[in-house]
Amino acid sequence: MRYIFNFPDIGEGLEEGTILEWYVTKGQAVKSGQALVRMETDKVVTDIPSPKNGTIAATFGNVGEIVHVGSPLVEIEMEGVFGAEAVAEAQAPVTAPIEEEGAAVVGTMELAGKNALLAASDEGSSKQEPETKPLRKVLATPLARAMARDLNIDINQVTGTGPSGRVTKTDIETYHPTKKSTTPVEQHETYQQPSSAGESITYEPLTQIRKAIAKNMINSKLNAAHMSVFEEVEISNLMSIRERYKTIYTDKNTKLTYLPFIVKATVNALKQHRQLNAQIDLENDRMIYKNYYNIAIAIDTPEGLVVPVIKDADRLSILEIAQKITALSDKAKARKLTLEEMKDGTFTLTNYGSIGGIYATPVINYPQAGILGIGRIVQKPIVKNDQIVVGNVLPLSLSVDHRIVDGGEASRFMNCILEYLSDPVMMMME
Amino acid sequence: MDYDVLIIGAGPAGYVAAIRAGQVGLKTAIVEKKYIGGMCLNWGCIPTKAILESAKLFDKSKHLEEFGIDGIDVGKLSFNWNKTKSRSTRITKKLSAGVNYLLKKNGVELITGTAKLGSDHSVYVDDKKITASNIIIATGSKPKAMDNALANAPVAEMETLFSLDSIPENIVVTGNHVSAVEMAQFFKLIDKKVTLVANSSYFLDGLDDHLIAYITKKLVTDKIDLILNDYPEKFVNGELLIGGNKIKCDLLVNCNSRKAILLDSETPLELTERGFIKTSDQFETNLKGVYAIGDVSGKSFVAHVASAQGIYVINTIKGIKSNFNGEIYPINMYTVPEIAQIGMTEQAIKDEGINYKISEFPLSANGKAMIEGNTEGSIRMLSDKKYGQVLGVQIVAANATDMIAEASAFMSIEGTVYDVAQTIHAHPTVSEIFLEAGFDAVDKAIHK
Repeated sequence: MRYIFNFPDIGEGLEEGTILEWYVTKGQAVKSGQALVRMETDKVVTDIPSPKNGTIAATFGNVGEIVHVGSPLVEIEMEGVFGAEAVAEAQAPVTAPIEEEGAAVVGTMELAGKNALLAASDEGSSKQEPETKPLRKVLATPLARAMARDLNIDINQVTGTGPSGRVTKTDIETYHPTKKSTTPVEQHETYQQPSSAGESITYEPLTQIRKAIAKNMINSKLNAAHMSVFEEVEISNLMSIRERYKTIYTDKNTKLTYLPFIVKATVNALKQHRQLNAQIDLENDRMIYKNYYNIAIAIDTPEGLVVPVIKDADRLSILEIAQKITALSDKAKARKLTLEEMKDGTFTLTNYGSIGGIYATPVINYPQAGILGIGRIVQKPIVKNDQIVVGNVLPLSLSVDHRIVDGGEASRFMNCILEYLSDPVMMMME
Repeated sequence: MDYDVLIIGAGPAGYVAAIRAGQVGLKTAIVEKKYIGGMCLNWGCIPTKAILESAKLFDKSKHLEEFGIDGIDVGKLSFNWNKTKSRSTRITKKLSAGVNYLLKKNGVELITGTAKLGSDHSVYVDDKKITASNIIIATGSKPKAMDNALANAPVAEMETLFSLDSIPENIVVTGNHVSAVEMAQFFKLIDKKVTLVANSSYFLDGLDDHLIAYITKKLVTDKIDLILNDYPEKFVNGELLIGGNKIKCDLLVNCNSRKAILLDSETPLELTERGFIKTSDQFETNLKGVYAIGDVSGKSFVAHVASAQGIYVINTIKGIKSNFNGEIYPINMYTVPEIAQIGMTEQAIKDEGINYKISEFPLSANGKAMIEGNTEGSIRMLSDKKYGQVLGVQIVAANATDMIAEASAFMSIEGTVYDVAQTIHAHPTVSEIFLEAGFDAVDKAIHK
């Protein structure tokens, strides 16, 4: 069975892309998720991963050629897939693949409960390995469950006051006092247009993930004293290093992007600036410094933002970090992240530049002390040895909780990262 | 302080609180005037049900032929009151000894005597001063005494009933509540002529109208004369004068509404309008560190609620967080057939404006009920229409007082009719009527 993979619509309204580099050639075996081609659009430079396992039967277009959305990119020979299964495979929807699925301009989503990680639909991938072990089912009375369903309340968010913390009717009513009234009241009447104007507004219930994001974002904004600082770093050295090793590691099925380098640089900088790897505990009048380095990575998924964590990133090589990022990113897209993989981040990176954006003011992944936003790499004139030359500039945006991190410290931390990125050998040395 | 907790009264409120207090490590003493186990154990719950059991068996023995048992000469059957009493006494003695043992086992000191509340956390027991950080009053209640005008009548209090050597022929029971109906039926089951005088307009107040109607009808079928809204005025020549009627009366049994048994207190205890000790939601009186539980606080008049209050107060004293839900508890009548109710009545549901549903199932369609020859009765389940929460259950059945426990369980965890319908009930059992009522509420009963 052969499967033709068309250049997918990756959002942002783009209609076409330029082939920058082919990672695969005819006859090469590919796995689902493996980068096929590097595409450049007017907003993003991105790797397009394979949607299927199989062997490349053909590639369409040469480097530098423009491909329109919906036009064929590759043809994949899928082994062991025949007949009806093949038809089903071929017809299965393909989700837009983007390098690391970049990020949003925002930080958080740590603990949102099971539903946030594995929202309702199963999108065709149902008969894979058994679902990750669910969190302990919250204790609730049958009535409380019925009410929560009816009122569209995530019962996991409700604090139970019954025996053993069981959620009761009263708890639901306390959680959602406005819904106490039993008579349904037609709300938003003022927004309704005359029927002749048609449906100008659509109301949709919030998904669990959206609710969790909303809650965490506002929690961060209300509790942390946000302050941002912006910097640029010329990364030609880093680019050449990456170029050199990328192909080697691609053969080993590892996508070597810029992000693992930035993770490494950040961890090294955090080691020297512990204020950034800390949290403040006002209740007990103390600082909590973390002596471990768990780097959270913001990942944009169709359902919304998720932020899995690279545990003990200081003990991983750049290569291992790259593999970890790929694994977490794949899991995020397949909605297979476990709570364990989302917990206990100490600092967050958000790679919005992979989608688009130069500077941002990222929202801190509360209660962490900082978040580093990575913008899109741009070629622009820079002054080098008193000459104006073309530089590859990576814009960085750092938001810190000003309660914890002073301006000077934020800048020193940033300088440290800039140093590592402009001279990558240094970060390997340390 | 001599004790962490001093409890006055060893009824089901006091003795349960004492055991619980001992269990959680509080230094505890309990003061009792006379009876360990209180009214419940000595002339209330236990002995009345014991004699009722004898009476029920006596009555059933007349119909043994139906079950295929020959050789019983119904004409020769007789009810032996003294043997019945002895059996009841054996049970109460055994239970009383059990309570005594449990108090000792849990390190509770038993002080015999009459208590008086002093000031500043002190209690005087027969003039000996004892101090305690927390004092719990659990002195109970007793039926309101008969009027002086009836001083010449052959009045029997529940306490004295058990000292009678024989039961005369013409019995009049006064009272409005469950125990009055039970006692009236007891005397009827042993073939006495019985009149029940409900001396207020609150006959069976708190029960669902549906049950009140059933009981009223049942009294008629049982040939128990029921006089409502009237009161015996005089006793003349072996007859009671009640609203112009003369009723033969050899024994006048006092099952009147209950009054608090109050104790002397140096600082007056604040009382409710009806003369019970006024308490907060945590059962604390107007005196700090002094609590009142059970009948004396007038919040309920059943042993099981009193015990629950006792446990709750000890938890509060010990700092153990627990909830007290005093609304959902069964009200049991040990009549023939038994009657049990829990939760809201239909009237109360209507008053709250809840959109509700009634699901019913008769015992006449239940296999086990037929087997046992007890097909009189039904289950009635009241549920809210929106979520299906079970709001109230009423059962009329031979073993209704045990069966109601199922409703207690699912109502205490806010169960819905869906849960009831989905619970597999063993067959054949009378409890299958729950399943049927659940189905009836969700959609349709299977066997109706």
